[in-house]
Amino acid sequence: MSNGLDKNQLTAVLQVLKKYNLKETEEQLRKEANLTDQVDQQDSDVSSVLTGYKSDGDPETYEGSYIELKRFVENSLDIYKHELGMILYPVLVHMYLELVYNGHTDKAISLMKKFGPEQDIYYQDDLKKLAMVTRRDHMNGNELTDTFKSNQFIIRMSRDTLSLLKRHVHDKKASVLLNIVQEHLYFDMYEGVARNKTQIDATSGAVGGEAKRQDNKIKVYYGIPKAPDIQILSAPVEDEEEPAEQESPDKPKKKKSKKDPLLSKKTKSDPNAPPPDRIPIPDLKDNDKMEKLRALRETSKRTNLGPENLPSCCAYTLLNANYNVCCAEITEDSSMLAVGFNDSIIKVFTLVPQKLKSMKSADKLQEVNIEAEDVLVRMMDERSGESARSLCGHNGPVYSVSFSPDRSLLLSCSEDSTIRLWSLQIWTCLVVYKGHMFPVWDVKFSPVGYYFASCSYDRTARLWATDHYQPLRIFAGHFSDVDCIQFHPNSNYVATGSSDRRVCLWDITTGNHVRLMTGHKQPIQSLAFSICGRFLASAGTDCRVLIWDLSHGHLVAELTGHSKTIHCLAFSRCGNILVSGGLDCSVKVWNFTKLTEEISSEDVNISHNPDVKTGDDYLLRTFQTKNSPLINLHFTRRNLMLAVAVFDGIAS
Amino acid sequence: MAKMNESDLYGTNLSIESMKVVAESIGIGNLQDEAAKELSEDISFQLKHIIQDAAKSMNHSKRMKLLQSDVDSALKARNIEPQYGFHSAEPLPFRFASGGGRELHFIEEKEVDLGELLNGISPKAPLEVGLRSHWLCIDGIQPTIPENPPPVAKTIQKLESVDPINKKPLKESAGKPSTGKQKLKNVETVQIKQLATHELSVEQQLYYKEITEACVGSDEAKRAEALQSLSTDPGLHEMLPRMCTFIIEGVRVNVVQNNLALLIYLMRMVKALLDNQSLYLEKYLHELIPSVSTCIVSKQLCMRPELDNHWALRDFASRLMSQICKNFNTSTNNIQTRITRMFTNALQQGEKIPLSSLYGALQGLSELGTEVTRIFILPKIRSFGARIETHLEGNLTTNTDKTASGHIKQLLIKIIAPIIKTIRNPPDSLEEYKQEFGYLGISLHAAVVKARTQPTPVSTAASVVSTSAITSVGQSIARPMTSSGIVQQGNQPTRTIVMSQQSQRISVQQNSQQKVVFMPQRSLPNTASHPQFSQSNSAGTTVVKLVSSGQTVNQPKLIQSQSQKLVVMSNQSAFSTHSPLSQGQSNIVKQNFINQQQMQQMQQLQTQKSIDDLPI
Repeated sequence: MSNGLDKNQLTAVLQVLKKYNLKETEEQLRKEANLTDQVDQQDSDVSSVLTGYKSDGDPETYEGSYIELKRFVENSLDIYKHELGMILYPVLVHMYLELVYNGHTDKAISLMKKFGPEQDIYYQDDLKKLAMVTRRDHMNGNELTDTFKSNQFIIRMSRDTLSLLKRHVHDKKASVLLNIVQEHLYFDMYEGVARNKTQIDATSGAVGGEAKRQDNKIKVYYGIPKAPDIQILSAPVEDEEEPAEQESPDKPKKKKSKKDPLLSKKTKSDPNAPPPDRIPIPDLKDNDKMEKLRALRETSKRTNLGPENLPSCCAYTLLNANYNVCCAEITEDSSMLAVGFNDSIIKVFTLVPQKLKSMKSADKLQEVNIEAEDVLVRMMDERSGESARSLCGHNGPVYSVSFSPDRSLLLSCSEDSTIRLWSLQIWTCLVVYKGHMFPVWDVKFSPVGYYFASCSYDRTARLWATDHYQPLRIFAGHFSDVDCIQFHPNSNYVATGSSDRRVCLWDITTGNHVRLMTGHKQPIQSLAFSICGRFLASAGTDCRVLIWDLSHGHLVAELTGHSKTIHCLAFSRCGNILVSGGLDCSVKVWNFTKLTEEISSEDVNISHNPDVKTGDDYLLRTFQTKNSPLINLHFTRRNLMLAVAVFDGIAS
Repeated sequence: MAKMNESDLYGTNLSIESMKVVAESIGIGNLQDEAAKELSEDISFQLKHIIQDAAKSMNHSKRMKLLQSDVDSALKARNIEPQYGFHSAEPLPFRFASGGGRELHFIEEKEVDLGELLNGISPKAPLEVGLRSHWLCIDGIQPTIPENPPPVAKTIQKLESVDPINKKPLKESAGKPSTGKQKLKNVETVQIKQLATHELSVEQQLYYKEITEACVGSDEAKRAEALQSLSTDPGLHEMLPRMCTFIIEGVRVNVVQNNLALLIYLMRMVKALLDNQSLYLEKYLHELIPSVSTCIVSKQLCMRPELDNHWALRDFASRLMSQICKNFNTSTNNIQTRITRMFTNALQQGEKIPLSSLYGALQGLSELGTEVTRIFILPKIRSFGARIETHLEGNLTTNTDKTASGHIKQLLIKIIAPIIKTIRNPPDSLEEYKQEFGYLGISLHAAVVKARTQPTPVSTAASVVSTSAITSVGQSIARPMTSSGIVQQGNQPTRTIVMSQQSQRISVQQNSQQKVVFMPQRSLPNTASHPQFSQSNSAGTTVVKLVSSGQTVNQPKLIQSQSQKLVVMSNQSAFSTHSPLSQGQSNIVKQNFINQQQMQQMQQLQTQKSIDDLPI
């Protein structure tokens, strides 16, 4: 970084201080800055926002130097051509913004019109947004221009290409270009052969350029830890109806000598699994253990899916709900369905014969014998059973709902910027979490319960605990709305997908990002972790499902076939099948086993990005619904696929 | 701003003119050009930004249409007061108007009569959100049930029948495992012509057997079920050739044997197939039309022409024919023209044509519309009159001829009187009528005079009778037409393929014995206005049935192709008003509610359809 830039930044800081009337600090800084140039200003992003584009370059030279750069790219050797071509887009953007900032609107527009359309197709959306900015005051508070101003555009380049580029820039002494390259571009250099066009296209497209290698260096414990020991409860398991045995002193604990065959089949401890005490996890209650056993029992009846054994799918179609349904979620045991509506209501449907009961009133509860074994059942009012219940309280469209693993709680988030926690026993709102200042797009309970994560229009994702009214962690770093969030099956990480077209994996212990993955060309709407925890599937408006390997953060596959936005992804319980569904009213079934087998046979390390697998080889089947866009996909414990769709009566 | 229009990247900006207009509307008389330009640029920028934000909200609501609520939430996110009073659950029905070189898109604002709002006309209740579960696929194979899309879409069927070469040889039908064998076959034959594969699975063969047996069997309930299946099942495409062969062979044999009952059953099958939304019958019309016309104009259709009610069959088949014309007439196949020519040729034969065939031809023509009736029947009314006069007045004729003449007379009066009413001005002179129409003049005069005095024209009443004829056609072979036919129809499980039904409804309907309380009150004022409609557009039974059921509110918006759907609904309630009450009260109320809701939805659908035609 040059001295000039530091001065710029310093003056910016001084401006800020002046603005807020912090005279002493200003004085101090002024003194300090004059005395030493050693002020560490590496990350003062705020400053560059204010003066980043101050330039007294001749507006006439911009077009000329862009053409020159373009010619240089075109005339370079074929192997370097594509990597060099990557700088054209950011250079154009920054030239445009500089021109606009300095009041040369006509020049800016003519530059954009001339060279905008020839940029890669996946940049056109952003160019359109940039083209709206035609005056300096438009840049004020504009999300996209702010991103470009305050962040360097990251370009991965091989050493040879970079030196070629550097030589050109210095030879030409094109001050405009030099300035942009130095201030706004960051070159992530790597050793090796320059990439070709397909390789580049696979990972470019995000707002801030590609991910740095540095971003993906930290080890991720993507494995699944050994299931907690639930052996102690194996006794009452024989009868499924019987509730958990109460620890009563008069009743000596039965020691089960015979091991349950289900439990003896222990999984070997995964070397990639995080230590069990990495995050504090709430202790399992007896009821939870019962539930786990029941799940295990169900698992033994599971059919393993595959290309020869295709799934069956039961579709739940919501009728009379045109343009009114925002989201839907099914409990882990597939007994309940929650639907969030545009008109702020949440509806919970039961999918099993058992009705939705509510708890008895307080005075009646006193009559219940607490010592009774079936106290949980006795607490519920038998006569209150209903097949559907509504939860009212939000003040805007409900964008997401999520059940707690024990099915007693429901989370919802809404446009009214709140997250609400509902009790599914007394059917009222328990807590309102206010933290986000803008619409909350997604909320998810962690697989162990207690924790939950949310993401919002305010470009942050947050981690919460149900008993804290303030977030435990704030995950900041996305350049645009964080559209979707998902917990890793081991609860140690959350993945977020954003409108800046990047997928990010955050460590919930540190709150830092540990993986940053680029490759989507449009906002991301859905995320799903594979059962093994190693892979992440993401999909969104660009109609593609991308599969990421979390061990190194590589893009490993790109599944194309959908024609409209994909809104839901799900892995079968056996992990062999991935299903995706969206607005094109179709469910696509992908062969995930085949994919993982092919990946594992390849030698992959951090610097070697594998070839991205594409094509229809993995598509097993497509099921079309009748004018019903899919909003949720789910696999039951026995691997029956459940789909939730909204019938669009108007389109038919 | 014109200069902005050239590039894709730069969309349009609001024009300076519109800025000035807006300024004027809030009382700023002379806005400077400069100021207007500044404003337009800034406002366009802000608007684009807001729309961008609104799109986010749309995406998260998992929609593809931007609604007002999305704009509101975008405004809210920027701390701007949302736009109140623009809420609409449906996408905006933009109207388009142009003239004087200007184009305008606007929202039609209807005037609301507050008095009407206050005076008790209850607002429409919103529809309850329902959950319906069904199998999307079983072990990777998609079952063909009404809840799933048909395996071969109607548009593809249409394309196939119009242009067989277009058929994509390797196109895998959804949900079906593509066998290598099939592909191979296609490759081999691709250069000559697509051979349709008509291999039926065992299940399909069983289905075919069951359905055909039930359709012509003696068990009426079973038949109703079978016809129901034929008219709603989405997966019949592959069996269609067999079904058609069954029908045409059946007609061929039974016409010879004069088996009226079976002919009626077969025609009802045709009707069911025509009603099936997922089938495109054009490929089979060359077989079906001759069979249907046989049932209209054949000399003899039953063993005892003087007793059996073969007239109902002719009426029914005529309606089928008009339905075919309506659905499949194109400028290339000219079905309507050819059928009209066929019937007129029959009329040309003069004395040679048997009376029963004459009746059929007349009925067939009359079903094709008033215009056809006016051009082809009206000029010949004298000769028809002369012919039936000899049978009706003379003593030398047989009983059969007499009945036939009676029917023809009735028919002619029914179809001609409304036409005369419109083309002739009052006063109606009996002498003139006699002069012009001969024997039928007297009756016609009486009918026209009656029609003029009564607001409800003859045609309605007459058609109501024929409506019951259609429904009773299976039963009332040897009986005179009675309203009992309606009861029979009520027994049919009238399952529509509209998805908006709740699954429990079907079961309720099958033994539906509801009483509709609110219907008569609401419908009475409307009935008066309908006859004009039904008359002007003589679309035949469907429309008239609606009148009789009297549940319609927005009739004039009715679109032909959809009228069948409506018929199903309204008939139920029409029936229900007659039927005795025998179910729990709560059930009935619920049922009423759903019926009303369905009507609403239907109407919504219709308005939507008409809106869709407009450029938005």
